[in-house]
Amino acid sequence: MEVDRRAFIASLGGVAAVNLMDHEAKAEALEHYMEDKLDEMVAAQQPEKFPTVAEIEAQITTRPFRRGAGSVFTGQRGENVKLIEPMPAKPTLNDFFRLRFAPANHVLQSATRAMKTGMSEEIILACLLHDCVLSLIKPDHGWWGAQLFEPYIPEKSAFAIRYHQTLRFYADDDAGYEYPDQYYRIFGHDYQPPQYIADTYKMLKNHKWYMEPRLVTVNDLYAFDPNAKVSIEPFQDIIGRHFKQPKEGLGYDNSPSAHMWRTLARPDNPL
Amino acid sequence: MKRALAGVCVAVLLAVVASGQTAKSAQPLPGLDATVTKVEHAASASLRDCPPGTNTVNAVTRPGETFALVTVQFKVSPAFKASPMKRPTVTDAADKKYNTASTFVDVGSVPEYSCTFPFRVPEGTRLKALQLESSSLDLSALDK
Repeated sequence: MEVDRRAFIASLGGVAAVNLMDHEAKAEALEHYMEDKLDEMVAAQQPEKFPTVAEIEAQITTRPFRRGAGSVFTGQRGENVKLIEPMPAKPTLNDFFRLRFAPANHVLQSATRAMKTGMSEEIILACLLHDCVLSLIKPDHGWWGAQLFEPYIPEKSAFAIRYHQTLRFYADDDAGYEYPDQYYRIFGHDYQPPQYIADTYKMLKNHKWYMEPRLVTVNDLYAFDPNAKVSIEPFQDIIGRHFKQPKEGLGYDNSPSAHMWRTLARPDNPL
Repeated sequence: MKRALAGVCVAVLLAVVASGQTAKSAQPLPGLDATVTKVEHAASASLRDCPPGTNTVNAVTRPGETFALVTVQFKVSPAFKASPMKRPTVTDAADKKYNTASTFVDVGSVPEYSCTFPFRVPEGTRLKALQLESSSLDLSALDK
């Protein structure tokens, strides 16, 4: 199998991310990459059969962790977790991107796309932050994510982060958002969103800020250009203008979400 | 006489080729040439950006629907000035409009490329035209 070197490096978050990996991690990443590509090639040969909700539920007891655990708490592909670098004494958003959200490829690509398609700075910021909380926790990530960032970002950006989770379940032809086939894979093809999601959608449809979370979903891609070099650098001005970095450091400013930042900073604490 | 006959044959041949060539061209923006090359129908579609990257978001149809996949060849000349482009739309024989979830991103970033735009339409729908900015491209001959 031929490996597209640039695509492989991009899938890991670019050259900078690769340089931070040791030889063992690089070899492991290459192996996983080739496995994934092989799976894709096999899948391309035949129409995909999506699992049912029941089939997905049947997998619960086959894992040593729950699917909702944040990525800092679980090993990749069932392996043991690795030691993580301590955070600085007064961590910034950039520090969290580098040390806890990395490689953050997905959110960086979403924000890059939002920037290229002329979105507002509030939307670009929302795209940049919309899935960062998955490092901490996965269920209801829209609400958790909004709560994490709410004390520091514009109200519209927090609104967009909170409700993009809901709008992901509902196609919007006019806005150019299709229900993604990935959701058939991860939720089951016969999945019906729970009532609170349906109720939230009903509320959003009549909300004056409907398009804020909708534009996050429009830019919520799994990946796009493998040769794109994504980094947080192009967003530093937007972060500077819209993210209220506390002087005490994230986690130590006594904000309503400070404990969430501290949990991300110290995921190995037993209590 | 032979030369005249050969000339007629070439002319006829060219006319036959031209009549069979159903692709339509337009210049939706100065410096950007677009030619429709193909219309197909499928049950699933990639929602790639245009120019294509490897956006891995795909969509699948519901019962009674199909994706009409319209492939367009683009050529960018130095005269093209980068600006955001609206997503294309298509119309059917009854002039009903359909949208696509594929988006233009960095249109002038490569000089030549091909994009396939998926449009979710009811089964049996035949497309009449593709709207690219203010240009309209004929699809009726390609969507049979």
